Amino acid sequence: MKLHRAVVAWLLAELLPVAPAAAEPITLRDDAGSSVMLARPAERIVSLLPSLTETVCELQACDRLVGVDRHSDWPAAVKALPQLGGLEDTQIERLVALKPDLVLVARSSRALQRLRALGLPVLALEPQNAADTARVITTVAAALGRSEAGAQLQQRLQQRLAAAAARVPAAWRGRALYVEVASTPYAAGEASFIGETIRALGLGNIVPAALGPFPQLNPEFVLRAQPALLVLPRRVAEELPRRPGWARLQAVAAGRICALAADPWDALVRPGPRAADAAEALVDCLLRLPPPA
Amino acid sequence: MNTLVRRLVATRTAASPMRLAAALLLVLLALVLLGLAAGAEGLSTAWAQDAALIGDIRAPRTLGAALAGALLGLAGALSQGLFRNPLADPYLLGTAAGAGLAVTLVLAAGGLLGVELGLATGGALARLGLSGAAFVGAIGGMALTLVMARGATRPLTLLLAGVVVGVLLTALGDLLVLASPEALRGQRVFMIGSTSFLGWDSAAALALGLAVALPLAVRLARVLDALVLGEASATSLGLALPRLRLVLVALLALATGCAVAQVGLVAFVGLVAPHLVRRLVVVRHGALLALSALAGAVLLLGADVAARVLVAPQELPVGVLTAVFGGAYLLLLLWRRGRLA
Amino acid sequence: MTQDTAPPLEGRGLVCTLGGRRVVDGVSLALQAGQWAALVGPNGAGKSTLLQLLAGLHAAEAGELRLQGRPLAAWPPRERATRLAWLAQQGEAEAELPARSLVELGRLPRHGLLGAPDATDATAVALAMAETETTAFAARRLSELSGGERQRVLVARALAVEAGVLLLDEPVAHLDAPHQLALLRGLRQRARDGAAVAVVLHDLNLALAADRVLVMDRGRLVADGPPADAALRAALVAVFGHAFTVEQVVAAGQPRWIAVPSV
Repeated sequence: MKLHRAVVAWLLAELLPVAPAAAEPITLRDDAGSSVMLARPAERIVSLLPSLTETVCELQACDRLVGVDRHSDWPAAVKALPQLGGLEDTQIERLVALKPDLVLVARSSRALQRLRALGLPVLALEPQNAADTARVITTVAAALGRSEAGAQLQQRLQQRLAAAAARVPAAWRGRALYVEVASTPYAAGEASFIGETIRALGLGNIVPAALGPFPQLNPEFVLRAQPALLVLPRRVAEELPRRPGWARLQAVAAGRICALAADPWDALVRPGPRAADAAEALVDCLLRLPPPA
Repeated sequence: MNTLVRRLVATRTAASPMRLAAALLLVLLALVLLGLAAGAEGLSTAWAQDAALIGDIRAPRTLGAALAGALLGLAGALSQGLFRNPLADPYLLGTAAGAGLAVTLVLAAGGLLGVELGLATGGALARLGLSGAAFVGAIGGMALTLVMARGATRPLTLLLAGVVVGVLLTALGDLLVLASPEALRGQRVFMIGSTSFLGWDSAAALALGLAVALPLAVRLARVLDALVLGEASATSLGLALPRLRLVLVALLALATGCAVAQVGLVAFVGLVAPHLVRRLVVVRHGALLALSALAGAVLLLGADVAARVLVAPQELPVGVLTAVFGGAYLLLLLWRRGRLA
Repeated sequence: MTQDTAPPLEGRGLVCTLGGRRVVDGVSLALQAGQWAALVGPNGAGKSTLLQLLAGLHAAEAGELRLQGRPLAAWPPRERATRLAWLAQQGEAEAELPARSLVELGRLPRHGLLGAPDATDATAVALAMAETETTAFAARRLSELSGGERQRVLVARALAVEAGVLLLDEPVAHLDAPHQLALLRGLRQRARDGAAVAVVLHDLNLALAADRVLVMDRGRLVADGPPADAALRAALVAVFGHAFTVEQVVAAGQPRWIAVPSV
């Protein structure tokens, strides 16, 4: 079946009058190591992972999206698109009915095998850190036929990160942060994507790389480390004073807490092209707070 | 080996409950001391330096873990006595599912913006806080089970209703979680159980729960003894079984609800504690309930200390450790049974 | 009829239907103090159900039941429980309780759930355990006892109640001959001391040693009288399909009856 499609695609490419670059088949490699060939740049894209949706939109191809997953929520316009379920329960029939010519899924998606078996071109991509993000941008840009835009996007992101880092006041440089991703508490360490963003800003992390990307910490560890800043989702920040002993944290007493709303928080924790958004939001928050002693 | 086993069997039945109580108390005391020393750097005896940490974090956490374990042990023994089933645990009658749903509701309401129903009910729950919600949910789940079973007259009906309610409420929770991914993470944390943030207010709530539930349960323990004779015989002794069973079920809900509200759905403590006691002594239910509470305290506090110490400064989830201990103990029981047979 | 002269337990026209079948069909009887009666009949005759009706564990659809002259339903449960003790046919065996604790349950009606046992309770328990020869394993778990030992502990529980009316459903099942006899002798003594005792028995030889035999067949009380009564013996033989004959023997100078199988 795949061979048949490839032959047809080749024939069409050779026989139809074509514009110079767009007629060439695009070969892509995804994170699972599979090779996918597209006859032409994708025009009807389904994305089943928020960071992949964001990547497509950052590459100015939001209009080419025909369907997204339930959790994709940036930019606001994508919420109007057909929502095709989450990681576990993708609505296959509905997806196929949209006649996409490219499907972007997470590596861990259960729908991956099924969609491939149905003959759809599927790219399994799941960025876990900055390096992954760069690679994903390149791959998606190539699929869109916009490789230069991909390179430009990456450049822009680097520039924005550097600009944000430049805005960080001297008093904050090198100071250690505490980012909590789940209560119990689970922290984002240096080895995580969030940790990379923080490092790019010239800030530190109380959780060293040796403890892994998302260790479950003894709360005492945080109290002893006395982080200069706490970064939490807004809801968690509200109940922070009720935690036993946390009122003793200098950061709590001085109000050095960045209680992020849903949108900047999602941008911070999702490895993807919005790391620069998150960094900027973080620095904005920093500038509003009293500097650490 | 056989003579050793035979000697063990002989000493088991000869051991007195008082001696077991003393032994458990000693172990508990040792664990309390360890608990006060277990911090982010493993075990440390720098008491003076860490005074603030001990007072703020370690002391209430240690006390809280012990009290929660006691409540779970008590609830487990009550459950096994009420249903005359050694595999019964405190979460049978919809308490766990109810608490889980309430917690999911609060978490989802916190994140969700557009779901009208969630906001309307979530708001009031959110004010109570997560612990309050879990407690209300546990009691609610039990109440729903009682309504479905139309009272506590027949234990089998009650059990079946509990299963149905459990499945129903869990499914509702899963549906909620689909719509709200933040709720998923919080729900998972709740399901596995955690002692990390037990403060003095948690410890006080747990102490209150234990102070109410334990004496009352021990007072009524004779009913559980009578149930051993069978429903008909117990009735022939003049006991108003439906009403008494209702009271015991209410105590079960109270004990479970209090524990679950503070530490989440910790596995195995309620199941294993009564087994351990029964292995070691021959007692009537009054003593069994009290000793199970003591054994439960030892189990959960032991797991909590291990959780803090084994991979410091990281922590292992306490629910995983209780499952490992509990599972290992049940395996040991199976093995012993195989050798004796 | 005043409470003093009324029979300890009296039932008239008792009817009970289970699963569409009349298990007890218009039975009338009166248990007398000082007598021990054996209740016999083929399988499915309704003996256990009748005993449960008499004990108030099952509501009869029709008929009257009076305990010491007062309708059974009118008695508060605890008071009824002090005057009427019942033993189940199938003893529960999955008990981790120590044997003594189980026997002590027989004193619950007297001191109540929240009350504490006193000296009279201790005496009653000790007596019951001595009678059933269970004192030796008072501290052992019920589940660790043999079938016979467990049965004796359960009987001891019923005896410990020290009720005026004793309704025992197959108390000598699983027991060997010496223990069976010891138990029945104990029951006879209790009857002589003033109790009204009714015992379901399968062994007809033991039943024929009772003061009175109640013969049931298909829900009806077919015969009711002392073994000396020829009509009773004839009814007994008929109900069991002439599988045996009843012969008289002389044992220890007393006339006795035994059932001889017609092999």
